[in-house]
Order: sequence, then structure tokens, then C-alpha cells
Amino acid sequence: MDNVVELDGVTRIYGSRRRPVAALRSVSLVVSAGTFVAVMGATGSGKSTLLQCAAGLDRPTSGRVRLVGQDVTRMREGALTRLRRDRVGFVFQSYNLLSELTVRQNVLLPRRLGGPRPRPLDEVLAEVGLSGLAGRPVGELSGGQRQRVAIARALAGRPAVVFADEPTGALDPATGGQVLRLFRSGVDRSRVTVVMVTHDPMAAAWSDRLILLRDGEVVADGPTPDPTTIAERLAATVSDPVVAR
Amino acid sequence: MNAGLTRQALRKQPWAFAGPFVTQCLAAALASGALGASSSMSGARLDPAARQALTESSLPEMAALFVVMSVYLTALIVGLTMTSSIARQGRDIALVRAVGATPGRVRRAVAAQAAVVAVPAALLGVPLGALLARAWLAGLTGHGVIPPGVTFHPSAAALPAALGITVGASLVGALVAAMRPARVRPAAALTETAVPRRQLSFVRTVIGVVLVTGGVLLSIRIANGDPAKADGSSFFTMLAMCVGAGFLGPVLLRLVAPLARLFGGTGALAADNLAVRSKALSGALVPLVLAIAFAMVKVVTHTTSVHVHGAPESPAEVWTEYSGTAVYVTFAAVAAVNTLVTVLLARRRELAVTRLVGASRVRALAVVVCEALMVTVTALAVGTVVAMVTVVPMLHGMLGTWKPYLPTGQLTVGLATVIGLVLLGTVVPALVAMRRPAVESLAVDP
Repeated sequence: MDNVVELDGVTRIYGSRRRPVAALRSVSLVVSAGTFVAVMGATGSGKSTLLQCAAGLDRPTSGRVRLVGQDVTRMREGALTRLRRDRVGFVFQSYNLLSELTVRQNVLLPRRLGGPRPRPLDEVLAEVGLSGLAGRPVGELSGGQRQRVAIARALAGRPAVVFADEPTGALDPATGGQVLRLFRSGVDRSRVTVVMVTHDPMAAAWSDRLILLRDGEVVADGPTPDPTTIAERLAATVSDPVVAR
Repeated sequence: MNAGLTRQALRKQPWAFAGPFVTQCLAAALASGALGASSSMSGARLDPAARQALTESSLPEMAALFVVMSVYLTALIVGLTMTSSIARQGRDIALVRAVGATPGRVRRAVAAQAAVVAVPAALLGVPLGALLARAWLAGLTGHGVIPPGVTFHPSAAALPAALGITVGASLVGALVAAMRPARVRPAAALTETAVPRRQLSFVRTVIGVVLVTGGVLLSIRIANGDPAKADGSSFFTMLAMCVGAGFLGPVLLRLVAPLARLFGGTGALAADNLAVRSKALSGALVPLVLAIAFAMVKVVTHTTSVHVHGAPESPAEVWTEYSGTAVYVTFAAVAAVNTLVTVLLARRRELAVTRLVGASRVRALAVVVCEALMVTVTALAVGTVVAMVTVVPMLHGMLGTWKPYLPTGQLTVGLATVIGLVLLGTVVPALVAMRRPAVESLAVDP
């Protein structure tokens, strides 16, 4: 099973029948195991929708999504939840941790919900640089530390793929760099697949492959260039006059 | 500005105020109804023989006691529910303090919220109380307990009394809850709301221990005193112990929480949640314990007396005994459910996160049910202890027995009711909160 994520003609339409808004227009792409993919585009280009559809958090209006070899488009909610719990990790801009609970309790949360046996906690925490903080409530940590807790939670269960939505959006460049380095080493060492949505060219530069979206369509897809080129291409997709449809 | 803060708070968390509104409405009904029933009895135009019969039924005395009891009970529970709904706004208060609201302004805004809820609740509660009192008097005359000449006459004091109790208690409760967040520096308040204080307040524990000890001592004195006066003072014994149990609530819940670990991973998560949320949940513990203790004392007194005397009491007597208690128990139960709902709805975000990391709806619900069971166990244990401390000395004084008697049938009904109430206050709002997909809930409620 080499293709971790497959999208085939995925369209997602929001809004009423009378005033439909297409967030994704017939997007097809394949992500193979052990790649770090960055998805970029202007606000409203459909990046987050792409991520949510690919991760099985949202269902496309039409088209098909395969996640770790399984068609999630028609999967029942229960089976889909188990698939996400066992094979997929999530990291969000707003952390989405339980701030009253401790670092340990947060990292072990998927396990307590019946997920796979995680790697030893000490090992995972050492990897993300949080050794010795297992007993601290997450609410007492800094933003960078919280995001590393989220990454520890995502990586502890040996997922096939991690979806990250603006994981460095709330962090300063140096702290953001630490977070991205963790994704990078996860990909290189454990062949985890990472699909990351970002608007920051410096963050995208850590990836292997860059997908640019505009108006719900893929406009560029290829090996990730250097940050300056990323910024130029991103600017080009944003400033291009959008043809009224 | 004040009106703006109030309006925003009400709009942002309609449920946090709907709960106290219902509670206060019932409180006003209870207080004004008791007052109406009592004044109708004393003011009824009766011929001397009927008056004599009424006085001998000791019902006027009982009604007067009801008035006193309802005042204390409603003030306590109204204050408590208002405290828990303002406590939820800690973060919002810190935010408006950060952008320049003075502590005084925050207190005024909170007071305005309390009044906005209490005044309409009282206005709606008084007519409800009149209906309640009318029905009660009709029941008493119907069972032949009091002469048929006693009919309901609305008391002029009902409205001011109901307004005074609900608005007063609501204000006090709200201001007590706002005291801390209004006073501390905004920066401290913002971090504090992210991490609730874990250590239990020493003062809180001491107050709890003092109240419980006081209740126990009082109960022992009652046992040795005049059995005729026992009914009224045993109420205060019970109230003191219930409030004491409320102060000790966080400690008690943390003692019970580890039991949840018997249920595997789900239970372990429930136990952790209970430990961090013990303070909020102990707000529901007081009315729950009150309801359990009230009902148990009344039922056990009755069943034991029947058991000892070997003869069933007259239906009229049973009706009189149970009808009044039923009203209090219902009121306390409604307040308990309201508080549970408020606590659960504050956790929408947490439920969404749990689902996002891989809990199915059923599994997330299992965590909630597990927590609910632990709250039930705590409330049942505390309620039973309070009831027994109250009732055993009383029974000894009245019947000369140390052994309370409760038939299995009534015990089962009681247990089922308590479990049902707690589930109603937790599972139903959890289902409502989880209707939307988790990602959507998080986007709305970041």
C-alpha cells in the first residue's frame, strides 16, 4: 500500500442549493507513503477543505477519497472514526488539546479511546523535547510546547499519515521551525506521511512536494522549491485575476 | 456599556441562564405558594368548630414551617445555580477587564445579569405558586385533612416576598462568583481560566467540615430533645449537612473518581475529567444531595413508623406527609439537572476534541455516562449519610428504635430516579452538543 491518500475528482460544495459555493472543484491527487506535502493558496482557495476531505473529517459532494487504501467516501461514521483513530494523526493551529488535563493524559488520549498501543511515552516526549513535562497541565505550557504536545499525540500511535492545518500559524518563526523539524524527522525516520496546509513559504520549504490551490483547483503540483520561489509562485496565484464563473 | 456586557453574556450562553431562570421561577413559585397556603389557612373565615378542627390538624403550623423552609431552601439553591453560571464566564470577565472594564463595572454588569434573570422568573413564578397552593389546599380538603371552608386566597405579600428572595439570592450568588475574576489582574485571570486551580481551598474544606460537624451535633441534640419540635430543627440539621457536603464536594468527588478507572480507558478518562472538574460538578451535588436526603428522611420516617406500629397510616395522612416533601424534592431535582446541563454544555469544545482524536459518538458518550455514574454514586452516598444522621436519632426519639426501615421496592424506585435524573442532565445535553461534526464545533467554539 504505497498511496496513503488518493483523491479522485473531489468536489465540495457549501451553501444552499440556490447559492452554491464550490470550495473544491474536481481535485485529483495521490500522495505516496513517506512524503511531506505542503498545500498552499490564498485564503478561501480551499486548502482547509482539501485537508478535511482527505482526512475523512468532511465528506465530498462528489468524487472519491481513499485513505490508507480504504474508500472513506461511503464509509460509515463509526468505521471512519476508528480508521482516523488508528491510522491518522491531527495537528491544528489552535492545538485542540484538553487544556485542563496533563501532557501525559493528552498524549495517551487516543489510546484511552481504544486506539493503538502508543510508543513509550518517555520516548515520544523526548523526541518532541518535552521530557520531564509529562505531569504538567497543558494550560500551563507555552504555545510552542502545546503544539509539540499535539505532535506527540499525533505521532505516538505510529500513524500512517498526519494532517496538519496551519500548525505554525500561531508560533514565532524559531518555534515554528522546531515544530516543522519534528514533522521532517517523522517523515525521514519513520516514513510517516505528512499533509500540511500553510500560508507561510518558510514552513512550506520543509516539505518535499508543493501543491498550490486557487479557487478550489490545483494550479501547481511539484517538488518543493526554495522559499523565495514558493513566495513568488504563491503571490502569482493570489494576484492573478480570478475569472468570474 | 453595562447593558452591552449583559446582553452579550446572555446571548452568548443562553443555556447558562435558561437553567437558573427555570430554577428561580420554581423558587418563586415555591416561596409564594407556601406563603399563599399559609395565609389562606390563617385568614380563612371559618365557624369556631371548623377553626378548632383546623388548628388541631396542626396543618397551619406545618404550613408556617413550609414558608420558613422554602425561604432558606430557595435562597440557597438560587444563589448556588447563579454562582455556577457566572463562574463559567471567568474568561470573558478577564477579557473585558483586559480591554479596560473596571472591577466595579464588571460587578455591575454581573449584578445586572442576575436581575435580568431573577425579575421575570419571579413574575412568572408567583402565579405558578398560586396554582400550586390552590392544588395543595384542594388536595387537603379533598382528603378531609382540613375543613372544606379553607380556600385559596392570594397573599398580598407573595409577590414582594418572591421578588425579594429570588433577586436577593441571585444577586448575592452572582456577586460571590464574580468576586475573584473582577478583582484579580486580567493577565492572571486569563491564564487562570486556562488552568483551573487544582489545589483545594483550605478555607472551603474547613467550612465544609464545620457545617457537617454542626449538623451531626444538632442531630444528636434533637434526639435527646422534644420530639414535637424535631421536624423543624431536623430540616436545618439536614440543610447544614448538605451545604457542608457542597463545600466538601470537590474532595468527595476526587475520592470517588478513581472508582471510574475500573471501566478501562474510558473510565480513566472520566476519572481525570472528574478530578479537574470537581469544583463545577459539586454545584450540582448540593441540590442532588438535598433531594435525596429530603426524600429519604420523609420516606424512611413513614415506612419505619408503619413497620414499628404494624398498621398502615390513613391515606390522608400519607398524602399530607408526602405532598409537601414532593414539592421540595422536585425543586431540588430540577435545580440539580439544570446545573448538570450547564456544566456539560460548557464542555462542548472538549467533547469535540475527544471525538477528533478518535472517539466515536458512542465512546464519547460512554465517558460522559461514566462521569455521571460517579456523580450519582457520590450523591447517593452523601445523601444517604445525611439522611441517616438526621433520621436515626429522630426515629429513636419518636419510636424508640435505632433501625430505619426501607422496603426494597421504594429503594429501587429511588435509585432509578436518581440515576435517571443524572443521566437526563448529562447524556441529553451531550447528545445535543455532539449533533454537529467535531470539526464544525471546533470552528464555531475555538
